[in-house]
Amino acid sequence: MLDFDNISSDALLTRYDIIAESKEKPETIAEKHLPKDPILRKVAEDVLHMKYKTIEENVSAALKDNIPEDVIEKGLLKGMDAVSELYNRGIYYLPHVMVSADAMDRGIKLAEEALGAGRRTKGEIIMHAAEGDPHDIGKNIAAVLLKSNGYSVLDMGKDVAVDDVVDKVTERKPLVVTGTALMTTTMSAFPRIAEKLQINGVETPFICAGGAVNREYVESYPLGIYADKAANGPNLVNKALDGWDWKKIRDKWDGILSGSE
Amino acid sequence: MSVNEFKKMAYSSADEMVFGESKHPKHYGLGLKVGAGFVVPEINFAPRPGTEKTPESLVREYVDYITKDVLERAITLGFPAIQIENEHIFQMVNDPEKFEKPVVIGQKEIMQEYHDEYGIACAIRHTIADPRLHEEGLRLGMDTKHTYPEKMMRAFEVAASNGADVISIESVGGKEVADHAVVRQDIKGWLFGIGYLGSLDMEWLWPQIVDIANKNNIVPGGDTNCAGANTAMFMAGGYMDRDIPRTFAAVTRAIAAARTLVAYECGATGPDKDCGYEGPIVKAISGFPSSQEGKGAQCAHCDMMGNLIAQTCDLWSNESVEYHPEFGGSSVQCWLGVIGYEAALMNASKQLKSEKTLRDIYVASDRFRSPEAFILSFDNAYKIGQAIVENNGSYYLRAKAAGLKAAELIEESSNEGKLKLSAQEKDALDRILLDLRSLPSEEGKFVDWALKEYADVPAFNPKNYEL
Repeated sequence: MLDFDNISSDALLTRYDIIAESKEKPETIAEKHLPKDPILRKVAEDVLHMKYKTIEENVSAALKDNIPEDVIEKGLLKGMDAVSELYNRGIYYLPHVMVSADAMDRGIKLAEEALGAGRRTKGEIIMHAAEGDPHDIGKNIAAVLLKSNGYSVLDMGKDVAVDDVVDKVTERKPLVVTGTALMTTTMSAFPRIAEKLQINGVETPFICAGGAVNREYVESYPLGIYADKAANGPNLVNKALDGWDWKKIRDKWDGILSGSE
Repeated sequence: MSVNEFKKMAYSSADEMVFGESKHPKHYGLGLKVGAGFVVPEINFAPRPGTEKTPESLVREYVDYITKDVLERAITLGFPAIQIENEHIFQMVNDPEKFEKPVVIGQKEIMQEYHDEYGIACAIRHTIADPRLHEEGLRLGMDTKHTYPEKMMRAFEVAASNGADVISIESVGGKEVADHAVVRQDIKGWLFGIGYLGSLDMEWLWPQIVDIANKNNIVPGGDTNCAGANTAMFMAGGYMDRDIPRTFAAVTRAIAAARTLVAYECGATGPDKDCGYEGPIVKAISGFPSSQEGKGAQCAHCDMMGNLIAQTCDLWSNESVEYHPEFGGSSVQCWLGVIGYEAALMNASKQLKSEKTLRDIYVASDRFRSPEAFILSFDNAYKIGQAIVENNGSYYLRAKAAGLKAAELIEESSNEGKLKLSAQEKDALDRILLDLRSLPSEEGKFVDWALKEYADVPAFNPKNYEL
């Protein structure tokens, strides 16, 4: 057996990830998002620092002097804005976002109880994993990212029958519907959903994603908009919120994801 | 825990392990020998979207197009032996009589024809889909909505009695907790999901698969933690990915080995599943033949150990490729060429008595490409295997020991300046070491804690595991 420790890995591979590591400090980037008010700042910092086990204490304290909407908008969501920027810059990894979102969810729940009703969100997104497909980790990540961007999510789960999706979307008229599939033989549910929605007169943008799914396939049927990763979700949904229909989102897809649209 | 634990390592040293050699070679199918001094290509594929609509179109795709293309190319290139793997699609497990049976029969018939005419040694592995939904119930009688557990067992029966030579599965026990944990970088949750719950599900599932295989005189192959450790590996990805740190994925792989081993403890005999990158660890303990995939599976996914993982394989696979035309033929023909030629290279090295040199070159090229490649290098895989065997008697303790050993190996090499880690990888490693070392030394205490800690995880139902 060779002495593998004598191998010079530098001659065999380049660690581009280490070369590209950000030199910026997370605190500096986060600072511009954090509120000045010391009580709301504590709430935002709890989100930023993923303190999901202790955040309720600081949210309760903030609710004594602030209306619930401000605790959400100026505290919890500001903390999440900082997390999103750190994630987009490659400084935070996905687990930071997920655990921060857990913290934000707990805080929002408490604030909503004080509000006495659900808060107004930017719009509802209906999500599902395709009929016959038990893989839903991508959908769950996308759901967290969408919620973190101010949308409400109705998660229908995995292995959801085509007709159940069509009925739910027809009934609730969400801003966007999403579907994920890991297998080529389950993603064929998507064009069937799209066809039935159009028969019902529904033109809701239908974001489709997952391991087996590709852009060419999704753009082969009406309503379909491709997403190649969960992080694309908020950018695409934001355009639906701006009033773009599925055809325009599809046409401008490259620009939306590159940030030029 | 299962009774037939491996009391000691199958190999007396790591250096004894090499591709094409297993302690328990298998002979099956139409003259195929696996792990008997020869590496065999294992070709896998997926039908084109839409072909699943009717049994007729599915049979045409699988039999008349894919299987025929594979055999034609194997003969064309002079490959002496191949294994075909059919990873069943959902429709085949949802309605086995209608969709699965004619495919299984048709594939075997055409293989028999080529075997009779050309003498090619061949066999087919049928990998049954695991459609079970944790929220509906994993065990028989629990899922009253879809009856997926019953359909899955029926699908095994249909495959075994109609032409399968090997049956396997990529089972999903513990995935609901592992999925929750992986996106939160929570190694304790992942250990509970795969190391403990996953092992319990395997202990329930595999004796049934072994019974079906034995009843039909075919081979109960093995499992893979595709649902858990591959999810972590793919999320960790390469140097442009930032979903989870690669140190986290590496440790999940070691934990997964303790769980995948359960199939063998329940009577499976190998070859295990190609996508189980934990294969080198499992082989070091069990000595059963191992199927692996790496650079010949770039059609399916990008991994960080394309050469290295060939080090101890007995079957060399392409993972899966969608059937479609390429310049050089159909996709299955092109990728069979890739894996078949690699197998020929390995087999030539054996004739020249240079197989350990080639093995070491494979390892050298990728050893420091990622922490997961590093811990799966056969010398390290062997050490992780030893940690598992030394902690037998508890699914929890041996999975924890495997994870901890992997983390310590990474730390040691990193401290020596050999395996380079990014800041995120280093931070994640430090937390993993802290978390694993903080866990109790008694299984009962851990399980009591975990049942409370993860009680609210969506779809987690302790009854799925008789807890």
